[in-house]
Order: sequence, then C-alpha cells, then structure tokens
Amino acid sequence: MSRVRRHADNPAHALPGDDPEHEPRARHGRAPDVMRLGGWTPMREHGEDEPVDFVIVGTGAGGGTLAAKLAEYGFSVVAMDAGPYWRPLEDFASDEMHQSKLYWTDDRIVDGENPLQLGANNSGKSVGGSTVHFAMVSLRFRPEWFKSRTLLGYGTDWPVDWREMWRYYDEVERVLAISGPLTYPWGPKRPRYPYRAHELNAAARVLARGAEAMGIAWTESPIATLSAPRGLAPPCVYRGFCTSGCSTNAKQSVLNTWLVRALAAGAEIRDLAMVGQVETGADGRATGVRYHREGRWRFQRARNVVVAGYAIETPRLLLNSASARHPDGLANSSGLVGRYLTVQANQAVWGTSAEEIRSYKAPPSLAISEHWNYEDHGKDYHGGWCYMAQGPLPTLWSSTLATGHDLWGDALVAEMQNYNHSVGLKNVGEYMPQARNGVTLADETDQYGLPIARVTYSWCDNDRAQNAHARAFMGEALAAADVRDIWEQTNDTCHLNGTCRMGDDPCTSVVDADCRSWDVDNLWVCDGSVFPTVGGVNPSLTIQAIACRTADRIRDMAARGELDRRARPPARERAR
Amino acid sequence: MPGATAMIAAGLGAGLAGWWLAARRRPARREPGTHRAARRLNEASALLGLSVMADSGLEHFRGEYHNRAMFAAPSVSGIQIGASALGAVSDPARWSTPHHAVQVASAATGVSGLAFHLWNVLRRPGGLSWQNLFYGAPVGAPFALTLAGTVGAAAEHVRGADPHHTRLLGRPAGPALAAGAAFGLGGTVAEAWLLHLRGAFHNPLMWLPVTVPPVTAALLARAAFVGRGRMPVTRRMLEATAALGFAGSAFHAFGVARNMGGWRNWSQNIQSGPPLPAPPSFTGMALAGLAALEMMEARNARD
Repeated sequence: MSRVRRHADNPAHALPGDDPEHEPRARHGRAPDVMRLGGWTPMREHGEDEPVDFVIVGTGAGGGTLAAKLAEYGFSVVAMDAGPYWRPLEDFASDEMHQSKLYWTDDRIVDGENPLQLGANNSGKSVGGSTVHFAMVSLRFRPEWFKSRTLLGYGTDWPVDWREMWRYYDEVERVLAISGPLTYPWGPKRPRYPYRAHELNAAARVLARGAEAMGIAWTESPIATLSAPRGLAPPCVYRGFCTSGCSTNAKQSVLNTWLVRALAAGAEIRDLAMVGQVETGADGRATGVRYHREGRWRFQRARNVVVAGYAIETPRLLLNSASARHPDGLANSSGLVGRYLTVQANQAVWGTSAEEIRSYKAPPSLAISEHWNYEDHGKDYHGGWCYMAQGPLPTLWSSTLATGHDLWGDALVAEMQNYNHSVGLKNVGEYMPQARNGVTLADETDQYGLPIARVTYSWCDNDRAQNAHARAFMGEALAAADVRDIWEQTNDTCHLNGTCRMGDDPCTSVVDADCRSWDVDNLWVCDGSVFPTVGGVNPSLTIQAIACRTADRIRDMAARGELDRRARPPARERAR
Repeated sequence: MPGATAMIAAGLGAGLAGWWLAARRRPARREPGTHRAARRLNEASALLGLSVMADSGLEHFRGEYHNRAMFAAPSVSGIQIGASALGAVSDPARWSTPHHAVQVASAATGVSGLAFHLWNVLRRPGGLSWQNLFYGAPVGAPFALTLAGTVGAAAEHVRGADPHHTRLLGRPAGPALAAGAAFGLGGTVAEAWLLHLRGAFHNPLMWLPVTVPPVTAALLARAAFVGRGRMPVTRRMLEATAALGFAGSAFHAFGVARNMGGWRNWSQNIQSGPPLPAPPSFTGMALAGLAALEMMEARNARD
C-alpha cells in the first residue's frame, strides 16, 4: 500500500481496518459510533426511490444540526457529505501534515485583488464539516448586528430578531456544553455557560496582560471543548491539536454531538457522497439530488432538499443545478446566488516573549477581547472585530513565517528555533459585504466532472481601514505585554459567508428568514451562506443557531400544512 | 521527582500505620472522658493531616515543587500525622510538649500556606477572578493543615484538663470544639464548592458535599450554642458526613476513570482528575465534631 498510514493517538494503539477516505463507513444499516473504539451504531436506511422528507447536502454546522433536529421532529432524513466518516479516537494522528486530510482541497480557482487562501482556515471535507477541525471559539453576535443597516449604518439587516437568535444560542451552547466564563463582559446578560472556562495557557496570559495594560476588558474564550467529563467524552487534555482534529472527543464537534443525536433519531448519513446536482421537476420544484458514491452516480428522491455545503460549495451546487426552468442556476432569480461572498479578517501581530509560550499547549484561543465589537467610538470604519490568543503548531508556524514574514532558508530555520517563545494576537473582523466578491463557475471540472468554483475576493477601503486599526491596536497590546520584535501578518482571512443571503425581499435575497428559497419552495439553504453580514465573531455558533431555528420553523410549517406550498406567495409574485 | 514521591509514600505509610494502630489499641479499662475525647480528636487530626499530606503532595508534585516552600505542606503534615497518631495510641503525658509544638507549627504552616496561595492567585493577570480562584493555587486548601494542627493541639489541651470542667480558650471545651468543627466544616465546604463549581457540577453527586456538610455544620453550631441533652440528629449527620468523606474518594476515583485513558493512564489522570485524597478531610472534621458532641452530651448528662 503506497499511502502512509500513521498511528493515531488512542491508548489502544489500534488502527481501524478500513479506509474511510475510499470506502464508505455508514452503510449496511450501521454507522460508526465515534465515541467507542471500533464501535458501531444502528442506522436507519432509506431506498433511493423512496422520497424522503429531507435530503440534506452537507453535515457541518448547518446541515448536521438540521439533520438531528429534523429527525427528532419525526421527519425522514438522509444527510450526505462528500467527506469521510472519521473515527476521531482511531483516525487522528498528532501530525499536522497528515491531518490536512480534514480540509477541502479539491481544485478551485481564486482571483480578485486579494485572492483567498482556501483550505485549513475555512473549509472541511468530513462528516461533521469543518467543525471537525475548527478552533471551537463559540461567540454570539452583538445584537445590533442583526439590524446593522438600521442601527449602525452599514451592511444589510437580517430578517430575524436578535432576541429570538439569543434563545437559539442558548440551545446550541447547552448542546455543545460550551466552556466559558461565569460572567461575560460584553453585551446583554446571557445565561451561564454550561461548563467552566479552561485554565489559561501562556499565550492567553499574554493577551490578558496586554488588554489590562491597554485598559480594555478581556475574558476567557467560550469554546466548544469540555472542561469536565460529559457522557463518554473526557475533558480536554490540552493536547493542542484542536485545529488538526481532536483525537480524544473532548472537542464538541457536529460529528460527536448533533450527528450522534441524528443517528439515534433515525436519520441516515451517507459519507463519501458528493452531490452534483439538485434536480427539479416540470413544476420547477426540487425532486431530489444526483450524487456520486461508491464509484457511480445515483439519485435520491426527496420532498425537500436542504443545501448546506458552506459558502463556496452551496452556490456552486445551485449554479451547477441550472436547468431549462432555472437557466441561471437554482434559486437564482435574484442573481444573488454566489454573490456577496464575505470572509472575515484574520490580521495578526507576532513577536517574541522572554517567557516560554509553547504555542502547542492547550486550545489555541483561550482568551479573547471583544472590546472593538462593542465599542463604536475611535473607529474610522464600519464593523467590529475581536482578537484572540493564538497557538500555531510548528508546521503552521513555519509556513506563517515563510508566507507572512518572508523568511526562508537559514533565516527561517533560525526563527523556528525561537518557536517556544513566539506569541501573537489575531483578530476575527467584520468585512463588508460586496456584490463583486463571490463564487462563479469556472470552465475547468473536478474529479467528478463538475465545473469547479471560481472564488473572487477583493478588500474595500473599509476593510483595509479596519485591518490597519486592528494591527496597530494589537501591536500596542502585544508590546504592552513585554513582547519584543513585533511584526504584522497581513495575508490571512478566515470563514466564508454570504453567498445565498437571507432577507425579506425576493429581489435582494436568495432565501427568507426560514432559510427557504424564494424561488423553489421545497429548496432550503442552511449554512453560513445565508449570512447577509458576518459580524466580528467566528460564525459556527450562529450557523448552528440558525439551523435550530430553521428546524423549529419547518416543524411549525409542517404542522400547518405549509411545507408543500408556501403560505403566501413572495412579494414579487404577488406583484405579478 | 523520586525524592518527593518517596517522601510522600513514606508519610502515607506512617500515617496509615498510625491510623491502624490507633484503631486497634483500644484501652482495656475505663478511661476518663477527656482521654477518650483526646484520642478521638487525635484520630480526627491524623486523618485531616493524612488528607493534607496526600493532597498537597500530589498537587505540589503536579506543580513540580517549583518553589522550595512547596515541600513544607507534605513534610509538615507528615510529622503532624505522626504526632497525632502517637497521641491517639500512647501514654499522653510524656509526649505532650513536643506533640503540642508540632500541632501549633502545623497550624502556623497552614496559615502561611494560605498567604502563599493567596499571593499566587493575586499575582496572576486578572487578580482575584474566577479563573485564578479555579486554577491558581487553591486558596482554601492550606486551611486543612491549620485545622489538623488546631484539632491536634485541642486534643492535648483536653487530655490535660479537669475531666469535670474541661475548658478550652476559657470556654467549656465541648461547645468550643463544636463551634470550631462547624467552622472547619464550613471552610471545607467552601473549598469543595469552588472546585465543584469549576467542574460545573457535571455529576449530580457533586452536590452532596455542598449540601450535606453545611446542614451538619449548622446543626453542630446550634449544638454548640443551645445544645441540650442528647442530640441524635446531629450525631447521625456527623456520621453521614464522615461516611461522605470516604465515599467522596470513591467518587473521585470514578472521576479519574472518566478522564482520557481512564485508570490505564493513571499517572496523568490522578493529577488532572479530581483529587483522590481531598474528600476525607470531611471525615476528619466530622470526627472532631463527633468528639465535641460526645463531650457536650456527657456534660449535659451530668448537669
């Protein structure tokens, strides 16, 4: 066998006998029990000719959450993912390069003035999506962001109310047993986090010292890894490989939370299932999905289709699903599918600390300041940002030094000797939605013969002004914590949102507040694509909250008989 | 750190041997009430010391004894256990002065430990914050050594006192000891509450040490100030609290098993999991409370 297979870190030193990257694991009526070495859990299966209530494309923060909730509400659900069904206890090694198997690294074309780096920081190809390797930072939106146009003068209002969203944040925080501070310094009062904050590592203490010197508030980051046992999951052992895949199950990813529930509630999960097209019938409604699995193209019938492939694959699938009835792609009468791709700032400052930092210890971002998310004075730009402690592992750090600090050869080797004393601060900032940024189809095709995505990105002046302020402030904070030789990393971004934005008006949005497409009433989009604006916080908690809300809305609509047909035609159709 | 491990092992062995001796050498003839009370208090003190020595030995080992002062707690408590065990089994008069000195030194070590731990908490970024109370040196833990020394010193006072008018600090000894034991239980509850809060009370059983002992402490305090006749409910609660202390160690052993790798990975998990030796300090305080209760009941019977 030519592929190198590495020993995972599990105490039994066992390697699974199968190859999850080439052979599906979820089939023959069973799926992996990710909580037990070699374990299986029964899985209900559906025939392809049997129209299921919901086919969900993607099992990440949006699709996985929705699969669990819809199955628990009694709907028949088949959730498909292009990625493998990992067993974290057995498949994950303490090896950054090996663990890049978790990223979506299929061919894509990037262009624009500021082409995005795609892969580690903004994609996942796994059952459980990118939550399998996310940094676990679980933050709520600032309430005003849901009405940023009305209240703050920029972007677009969301069609949902912040108080309703906050109830769904409560739900997700409980499901993920978020470890967070007893009192949160910013925003309206929120319930106590289910689990206590983790002990700060050295990198987080640097953030704390800097923030205190700058006179702003800081706190422990609310993160989705356990600080106490929970069910079969042990508390975090501070192994530090969080963004390369947690091999202990302390990380509360969609893979080991929502999807465990989904299976128990009767959902079927199909791994290594790449959906190429949502098919529509003569009436224009979705009839199911065409997908590739086990070496051939198949078709699954469905009464409803949910697309939850994140902000590149979701618009790509909708655009690839064009038909005579939908010549510009599915759900695209507004022309907005794929437009307004909005990523987030990931500007950083780095330096050298006299004390040891050892960035590999514990989750990377244990301390945070949301000061500039809630403070609007002193800015010459719109939008907020937060900043967090960092914990790059050695390979990531060497590539950061090479690409962000232009070090190579002896200089790079010399700086790598300093790894244990390197420390930095990095922000997550709110870039402005711009119509020119987006996802279109390229002429090239991928291994499935499907046209690949072309991802175009350029900063606007507002984005650049925010970057400059963030770097300057974080640099001062780092210096105030006695860090020397400070340099700025300007080339990184994170998270992908906004290519199927939600709204109140079919002319200016792709889906409504319930994530239901305006054009095809049995087609839904449920992931970061629906964000009209991105805020200055990591999006995973909000994606899951939106998915919970969508599930509740679907349940209520089904009870009223409104699933088969929209209750009121959209405004544009009424006008006709 | 093999030296520290050997020291802890030796101390543990000495403590256990003393405990075993104390348990099996029952006086053949009827002894004065004060002697019985002194023996019981010494047993309580030895158990408290044992809990302190094992807990501080383990936690300071985890902290790599990076400050030499960290050796103080396990070593002093080791000597303190020996003194209390000896006091529980041997002829009292010959040992009274050195015994007393050891107990007072232990109590003083506990107080200085409190200061050290508080300093460790306050010097961290954030100062007096939940983060630092949870993860800095546990501010209340050295208090257990103070309690061990205080109970041990009280034992010697009681032994030498007039059996019919036993007084402690100018007060009748029974109520004074009961009030002290109630206070000590309260401190132990505070420590358990803080650390169980850190664990988010993730297991409902974690509520036990913050619900049962406070009731016991309240009953004991009530007994100290307005107690009359026999007090069976207080006695039962003290016994339940004593049992809870040992049960706590069993629960903590289960907690260790729930960490990554379970007991197979014991060398890491007994450090990162819940502290196995901590809960018996409840037993120690409850035994001291029982001794006080016995003295009060005896006095009430005489009055």
